[in-house]
Amino acid sequence: MPEMKVLVVDDSSTMRRIITNSLERLEFNDIVEAVDGSDALNKADGCNLIITDWNMPEMNGLELVQTLRGSEAHKSTPIIMVTTEAGKNEIVDAIKNGVNNYIVKPFTIDVLKEKLEAVLKIRLKDV
Amino acid sequence: MASVTSHLSVEIINPFIQSTINALETMAFIKPAIGKPYLKTKSNPVCDVSGSIGLIGEIAGTINVNFETDVICKIVTNMLDEPHDEIDNQVIDAVGEIANMIAGGAKGRTQEKGMDFNIALPNVTVGHKHSHAFPHNIPVIVVPFTTEQGEFTVEVCIRKN
Repeated sequence: MPEMKVLVVDDSSTMRRIITNSLERLEFNDIVEAVDGSDALNKADGCNLIITDWNMPEMNGLELVQTLRGSEAHKSTPIIMVTTEAGKNEIVDAIKNGVNNYIVKPFTIDVLKEKLEAVLKIRLKDV
Repeated sequence: MASVTSHLSVEIINPFIQSTINALETMAFIKPAIGKPYLKTKSNPVCDVSGSIGLIGEIAGTINVNFETDVICKIVTNMLDEPHDEIDNQVIDAVGEIANMIAGGAKGRTQEKGMDFNIALPNVTVGHKHSHAFPHNIPVIVVPFTTEQGEFTVEVCIRKN
């Protein structure tokens, strides 16, 4: 697995745990967690992949993406939105704002792997 | 189901039923069997922990997902691949996330039928054998589900705007 620092942003500790467990099974070992957009901005330095929820208190995922895309450091960092917002309108909105790919909860590890491979353009281990 | 559907169409309730099954099947590897939905006037389901989420838009109201301890502990044990045998902070958080997935999944399915709504952040209530009160002017449909560990219910209290 290439050296990669992943930032996982979700206000639900359950969802952070599920995503982190899945990433570890896919051999990502450097994972940082944040509880909302504001917390994520403080922890985004050095991260080269960001996986974020949409609906969060303080700063939501869409606001986080907009802020990150406005910064030199993260204007092209791969960002995957993982959210229950399953409507077409929301998906279009997220992509327009700079999200590279989109996962609708509930999801399996296979779906996460497929999206990671598409965004990172690498092949991950089979799980 | 005829009396239920006279108040609120199957078209509106079904997305919540489908998204409940999908959430638990995908995240907890448990396929709940659906029972016969009924109006809450006849029976008041009780539970130990419940997740509530508000909906606003062309469809507005509240949905609750209500669990007894054994059922939710098995679900969270499967979701996180670690044992849980009491309602701790992790289980409470998971109940909120399950409510969120049910509402979010239903939103996508409802949008496909030309109706839209926004969902609020979930609230979780913990208390032995508690139940919920709802506004009297909106019918509440209770959808019972069965798992190997016991039953849980989803209460749908919504109206079309």
